[in-house]
Amino acid sequence: MPVSTDVIRIMTPQAPNLLTALLFLPLAGAFIIMLSSEAAAKTVARITTIVMCIAAGMLAYQFNPSVPNLQFENQVQWITTPFPLQYYVGVDGMSLCLVVLTAVVTLLAVYASEKVGEKRPKLYYSFLMLLTFSLVGVFCSLNLLQFFIFYEFELVPMYFLIAIWGGPRRDYAAMKFLLYTFFGGVLMLAALLYLYFQLATEGPNSATFDMIELSRRAPMLPPAVQGIAFLGFFLAFIIKLPSFPFHTWLPDAHVEAPTPISMILAGLLLKMGGYGLIRICMGFFPIIMIKYGWMVMVLGAFNIIWGAMACLVQQDMKRIIAFSSVSHMGFILLGIGCLASAGINGAIFQMLSHGIVSAALFFLVGTVYERTHTRQLPEIGGGLAKQMPKLFYFWMFCAMANLGLPGLSGFVGEVAVFYGSYTSWVAQVSPDAEMAKLWIWIAASGVILTAGYMLWLLKRLFYGPEQPKWVGHLSDATKMEQALAWTMCAMILALGLCPNILIREYGQVSDRLAATIQQRISLSSLDARPPVQ
Amino acid sequence: MCLSVGAVIYGFIHSLLIFYALNQPGITGGVVADMPYFVSSSLSLHVGVLVDNLAAMMLIVVTCVSLLVQIYTHGYMREDPGYSRFYSYLSLFTGSMLGLVISTNLFQMFFFWELVGVCSYLLIGFWFYKDSAAAACVKAFVINRIGDFGFLLGILMLLGFTVGFVNGQPQNLWGQTPLLSFYGADGGPDLAAVLRRAYDVRAVSYWGFNGLFVMACLMFMGPMAKSAQFPLHTWLPDAMEGPTPISALIHAATMVAAGVYLVARAYPIWVAPVELHSQPALFVVAAVGCVTSFMAATIAMSQFDIKRTLAWSTVSQLGYMFVGLGAGAFTGGLFHLFNHAFFKAMLFLCSGAVIHGLHGEQDMRKMGGLKKDMKGTGLCFLIGCIAISGFPPFSGFFSKDEIIASAWNFNHFIGGMMILTAGLTSFYMFRAYFMTFSGSYRGGDVKPHNSGPAMVYPLIALSLPSMLSGFLGANPNSFASINWSGEEGGVFANPFGSFVYYLHPHFEGINGIIMLVSVIFAAAGWLVAFMMYREGKLSWNTAIANSKSPLIGGAYRFSFNKWYFDEAYTAFYSFVLRLYKNVWNFVDMVIVDNIVNGTSLVTAAFGQFLKYSQTGRGQYYALVIFGWVAVLTLAAYFIKP
Repeated sequence: MPVSTDVIRIMTPQAPNLLTALLFLPLAGAFIIMLSSEAAAKTVARITTIVMCIAAGMLAYQFNPSVPNLQFENQVQWITTPFPLQYYVGVDGMSLCLVVLTAVVTLLAVYASEKVGEKRPKLYYSFLMLLTFSLVGVFCSLNLLQFFIFYEFELVPMYFLIAIWGGPRRDYAAMKFLLYTFFGGVLMLAALLYLYFQLATEGPNSATFDMIELSRRAPMLPPAVQGIAFLGFFLAFIIKLPSFPFHTWLPDAHVEAPTPISMILAGLLLKMGGYGLIRICMGFFPIIMIKYGWMVMVLGAFNIIWGAMACLVQQDMKRIIAFSSVSHMGFILLGIGCLASAGINGAIFQMLSHGIVSAALFFLVGTVYERTHTRQLPEIGGGLAKQMPKLFYFWMFCAMANLGLPGLSGFVGEVAVFYGSYTSWVAQVSPDAEMAKLWIWIAASGVILTAGYMLWLLKRLFYGPEQPKWVGHLSDATKMEQALAWTMCAMILALGLCPNILIREYGQVSDRLAATIQQRISLSSLDARPPVQ
Repeated sequence: MCLSVGAVIYGFIHSLLIFYALNQPGITGGVVADMPYFVSSSLSLHVGVLVDNLAAMMLIVVTCVSLLVQIYTHGYMREDPGYSRFYSYLSLFTGSMLGLVISTNLFQMFFFWELVGVCSYLLIGFWFYKDSAAAACVKAFVINRIGDFGFLLGILMLLGFTVGFVNGQPQNLWGQTPLLSFYGADGGPDLAAVLRRAYDVRAVSYWGFNGLFVMACLMFMGPMAKSAQFPLHTWLPDAMEGPTPISALIHAATMVAAGVYLVARAYPIWVAPVELHSQPALFVVAAVGCVTSFMAATIAMSQFDIKRTLAWSTVSQLGYMFVGLGAGAFTGGLFHLFNHAFFKAMLFLCSGAVIHGLHGEQDMRKMGGLKKDMKGTGLCFLIGCIAISGFPPFSGFFSKDEIIASAWNFNHFIGGMMILTAGLTSFYMFRAYFMTFSGSYRGGDVKPHNSGPAMVYPLIALSLPSMLSGFLGANPNSFASINWSGEEGGVFANPFGSFVYYLHPHFEGINGIIMLVSVIFAAAGWLVAFMMYREGKLSWNTAIANSKSPLIGGAYRFSFNKWYFDEAYTAFYSFVLRLYKNVWNFVDMVIVDNIVNGTSLVTAAFGQFLKYSQTGRGQYYALVIFGWVAVLTLAAYFIKP
């Protein structure tokens, strides 16, 4: 561990408004794009995202990872009646990583938008900026109502981005996406209000939307009340994640969405679900998680297998990547459900790593689709490697990252989740330990299926003799495509070789969460009472 | 090419220095250094460097064979458009393999284990435009992943036993030692001590078996897949679709030995149940090795592709190594690994020279008489055949006899099978030699030509250890006191054995009778091959192949079709895939989507009634939605649970 850099970082003063500046940067970008000409839209968007990346880099640099506290807090009273509401942002290690990921993936998506953005560029790029704004907002909001507003606001630009720039069945896909997510949003709103009013009955000043306060007060509520609120939040987040049986919107949305939007959808939007699960479901309702954590694990394990099975029967390459996202999101559920530090740590790592790997894979799918104009594997028929050797290497690299090859980022999350969950309290001691263990074993068989479908996909795309119909119609990666792919591959490799550069930023978060829960477990076992009556 | 070869030369010199350093008087044990890879409060994983005698031995094997193969590649692949890509893959492989060898713990072993697997995938599929290569590389990787799945479960179980919970309290039996380490560090316990404590603390039973035994068997799936043991062996012969240098380096000498290396490295895992419990995991290792060894030898007898014959012989010899480890001949198994790496790499490189000289012809029926055109290659192949068949004094004799003798003491049936297999080995190897190099040329128009110096010198370099490396395992004292009584002999240290010696059941004595019998079997195998393929005096081969009798002809076809494993697996695989497809289609498309579409139907029906309330104003809709939420929340508020 390079101790010296830590010392320097602690001594660097934190700019108090940096986070707020970062949050409103894309909003400002969207306004500037609306005011500028069609031709300038692309340039403005690029500049905005570059500035965002610089700001995110400064944020990460000034962040002090050695303490678990929230940093860059910024609190402004907004309205006082009928209830006090504040603008409240701040980051801890986990949200910091997600904010940085948002900045990076957005930058890549903007640069990947060259073709798509030719159609109505002003509208396209301003929607993209609005989407980024809402994403950053979700990850750094510390007020629950504000969190909800950002969470719902993301629907608007996303709906239009799919419905205007999407593929042939875009209307259906956009509507399906909207309905599913809106349903989740309403559930969350109900849970949020329910929580608020239940807290109000506890005492005159106990009702609050402050997420820090909530994580202290919500566990005091009667378990049944917590259960209802938990269920609302949980359903909302697993729709977004997505998890079986609410996953069917994802393949449709992905297949119809244009490439850069798929990158953002898989790379960032899904992470809102995982983030919510950790921050709200685990942070607010630990005793529910202690009782039902094994069920979350079972759901996660089932997702891993179900997503992988679905991949084996698809013919559309984009659908395969979409279902593999479902499968990989299962690791997040598995890691969260086990309640152990290593598992939560792995789940967070999986979110970040999947953010890059899936963005890279969707980008690569886009590059092949642009050349062949079909995503159907039987129509492509294989043998593309001869004409696209560079793309073939990038594909190979990202496919390997996706199937969890050691040394690439996909491996770290999987291994941490497996090791962490198997050694956790839930899988070893709790009343449902045998069930949890059995499902971890089942989930582990996913490593075979994952290898199967990813390699089969590669084989059906690139291996085999050259097809006569493609001769002379295909070209290898352009300079821009190579630059983007290199960037993503470099990040995947760096995180895979040295995961600690990321883990030490957010490690405190998972350690603290697990410690709180372990404390509760020990307390309840000392009292010889079950955790929930 | 220069970069790649230069790096390997450096590695080879470094390995020799390490070997030299470890041989200094006063040096015992190894050097361990770890650094954290994954850190969390409940469990941390480390990677590091471990150099001890076992690792030093493997380092020499890996770097030496890699070096020679890389030089050979220059001659073999010069005209291929993927020349530099090939070198980059080769370097990646050598690097991964070295990482595997110096692993300090099981996690790191798993890490590099998968990396060498992917190198194998890349190199088998090197000629990606060939359909057969594309299928073979996927098959190799997926079967290896099946093994990795077992390996992963084994690691998980081990972790569960050692860093789980006891009576609700977290426990960590590893103390100061990083998790899963082979060696104890900073006063912490080593793997054997941890297993011992795990057994004392939690005697877990799984389906009536000892938990540690189940763990050892699951973990053995990894070596089974990587070292192509029954029933996960089917990928290795198909892996011959890759270029021949790869077959020599990865699929004969080094990577396939990784499984043997893992068993040797983590030996306490397989030994522990023997010490502690009556269900021996070592017996499983020996039995799997025995079945594989015999099966592969019977299959090799009827193959016509020169590389596939060698591939099956590799499978068979790997089986020998596992029998050695399983029977307690720790040093014997490793010694066979050491010798086999040299002579098998040489045999493959010879076959590569033949194939190169015949412009890609691999069918032995179209060869013959090549001794005239390829003198050096023929001689090297002959040396390899003698070595692998176990004729004294070439290297195979020493290690194989150590294994056979301990196998006989371990279990007479396994020992007997090993002796029989030794005879079969001799037969199929000399069959290959006679079909390829003696007699008259049957290739028609293709004119055989000899290979360039880049290909010949590595062969000669490899022929030296093939002839002589056996003497590393010979102690003059052992010869002086050969035990002719058929009883277990006394334990005599030999130079190799005392170098990699391990504190576990092992057998180093020489049993004269067993030795004599196995040499007689090998000689019989040679004689039959000589009469059939050299002199043509015996024509059993054609008689058997054309036999109509269900027993004899059936046996031949059984062997020729590789015991029908591929057919069975394909049937099983397509059955499972079809099952998946049906289940998935039914659940996802019919049930889940119909519920979703059903809701939309209900919505539509409601819409018929409610369309009069549609004003088209967004605020109105939002008001309705929020109104409902407010009503529901209030309802929930009043109906207190």
